[in-house]
Amino acid sequence: MRVLETRGLGIRFGGLRAVQELDLFLDQGELVALIGPNGAGKTTVFNMLTGVYKPTEGEIRFFGERIDGMSPYALTRKGIARTFQNIRLFQQLSVLDNVRIAHQVNTHHTFIDSILRLPRFGREERRMLEESRALLETMGLLAVADEAARNLSYGQQRRLEIARALATHPKLLLLDEPAAGMNPRETHELMEMIERVRKTFGMTILLIEHDMSLVMNISERIYVLDHGVLIAHGGPEDVRKNPRVIEAYLGEAAEDALA
Amino acid sequence: MVNRRKALITGLLLLIGYAVVQLMLSMGLIDPFYENMLMNIGINIMLAVSLHLIIGVTGQFSIGHAGFLAVGAYVSAVLTTKLDQPFLPAILAAGVAAALFGILVGVPTLRLRGDYLAIATLGFGEIVRITLYNIDYVGGAAGMQVRHLTNWTYLYIAVIVMIIVIANLTNSAHGRALLAIREDEVAAEAMGVNTTYYKVLAFAVGAFFAGIAGAMYAHQFYVIQPVAFGFLKSFEILVIVVLGGIGSLSGAILAATLLSLVNIYLQAFPETRMILYSLVLILVMLYRPQGLMGNREITDLLKRRLGKEA
Ligand SMILES: Nc1ncnc2c1ncn2[C@@H]1O[C@H](COP(=O)(O)OP(=O)(O)OP(=O)(O)O)[C@@H](O)[C@H]1O
Ligand SMILES: [Mg+2]
Repeated sequence: MRVLETRGLGIRFGGLRAVQELDLFLDQGELVALIGPNGAGKTTVFNMLTGVYKPTEGEIRFFGERIDGMSPYALTRKGIARTFQNIRLFQQLSVLDNVRIAHQVNTHHTFIDSILRLPRFGREERRMLEESRALLETMGLLAVADEAARNLSYGQQRRLEIARALATHPKLLLLDEPAAGMNPRETHELMEMIERVRKTFGMTILLIEHDMSLVMNISERIYVLDHGVLIAHGGPEDVRKNPRVIEAYLGEAAEDALA
Repeated sequence: MVNRRKALITGLLLLIGYAVVQLMLSMGLIDPFYENMLMNIGINIMLAVSLHLIIGVTGQFSIGHAGFLAVGAYVSAVLTTKLDQPFLPAILAAGVAAALFGILVGVPTLRLRGDYLAIATLGFGEIVRITLYNIDYVGGAAGMQVRHLTNWTYLYIAVIVMIIVIANLTNSAHGRALLAIREDEVAAEAMGVNTTYYKVLAFAVGAFFAGIAGAMYAHQFYVIQPVAFGFLKSFEILVIVVLGGIGSLSGAILAATLLSLVNIYLQAFPETRMILYSLVLILVMLYRPQGLMGNREITDLLKRRLGKEA
């Protein structure tokens, strides 16, 4: 089943065409990577898919339904969850509360129930608490459940970002450079965990990664973006050999060397 | 059921607290000076805790709180004094009217953050004051005579109800949504929090209780004038919230009590009061930016102490 599909998707920031003419799709249960050099437009694609930016061209369909132009919270409720490249946790709140906030997407008690502490309030809060703890357990964060999020190590914060996204019960999970800043061991563990999440929850995942080699093993298909343009799409082997991809990454290496 | 027992004990203590003061009042053991002081503390607690919901919990920097106070004061005063309505419906009407203004302010200011929001809410407060100034029906600059109807019972119930509502709201999924907005609005939206709805909710509930405080205020001090609801009043409430510790409900109560006490003794020198507030604000910023309580609650401290003993 087609989970996500974009046609001719694009956005302009003044004169800059940050993304243009992007056709992209994901089928149920797939793990697909979106890669590209710095400033290619990867995060911008996520921001359009999650309603943070309104596309100026093209359309986005989620299970066949047009979703472009919808607000972020509504899209989360529809089943699209994301993590942020530049970690955006609720820093002063506890790890548990970070996850519980995401769980509240699925609560049904009104604020009147909360104020009067009606039975429904107790039931729902207990359910949220149990689900949140179970999720923290899966992500290896239960031991730090009562810590403030800002006190976590960098790797733990990245995992909490994923836990929080999962707590919204997504059908599609968007991960923006989840391994950024991690050491090789942490990265390896993370990739294993992503595989596990995908299997346990039967999740469809779109993964942004800067480093091409990282995603070669775990993704079924890869989209390569450069300067907002899709320059390659296919299985890992095809993409690796694609001359335009090599050129884009070589260009970047050259820029890095010059800098 | 530890919780039920705790609620029962708290309820009993609250009842005893009420009864003792009520008894002393009716036996004439509390002279009018101290009674006035008590009322002042209660009203300031209402103002501080209702602003705490908007600033401390939801993170919306609003400095026009006196505007809601004024709406509540005038609406209730017109109802009781001009239209001869009983006090209780006037109190509720004051809350509802102020809540409507809260929504009115909340909606257009949704797009504004930080400084811009502060300026917009400040503008709202000033518009209310200047409008009242120009309405002859409510006495213009000279203000309105209001009957004395506020008493210990009304105020006590109002304060307790407000604290229960705001504490219960904060400690629920809805309160966590408000906290999420304070922490990171973009992330809150991404987690499915309808930030528009919750910001307006915070403004509406906060304004509602400020409006009720307005009804209590109007019917305690015999006369209301626009000049009493200017920026300085908003500033005073803000200072209380900052002093208590942004994000702490018990801090707001503590600071409201403290500043009201200090205030009483400075009543004869209004200028000194403003200097004092500014000084308090500067000192807090310099030496204790997290305020008296930080973002903790008194109950947290008690828990810690009990935890250690156990
Ligand atoms: N809100 C915005 N306003 C103007 N320009 C923007 C905006 N958001 C992104 N851009 C521009 O769009 C381009 C793509 O940025 P984007 O963040 O999507 O890149 P990226 O592929 O995620 O890069 P990185 O690997 O560094 O994260 C950049 O040139 C960026 O400056
Ligand atoms: Mg990016």
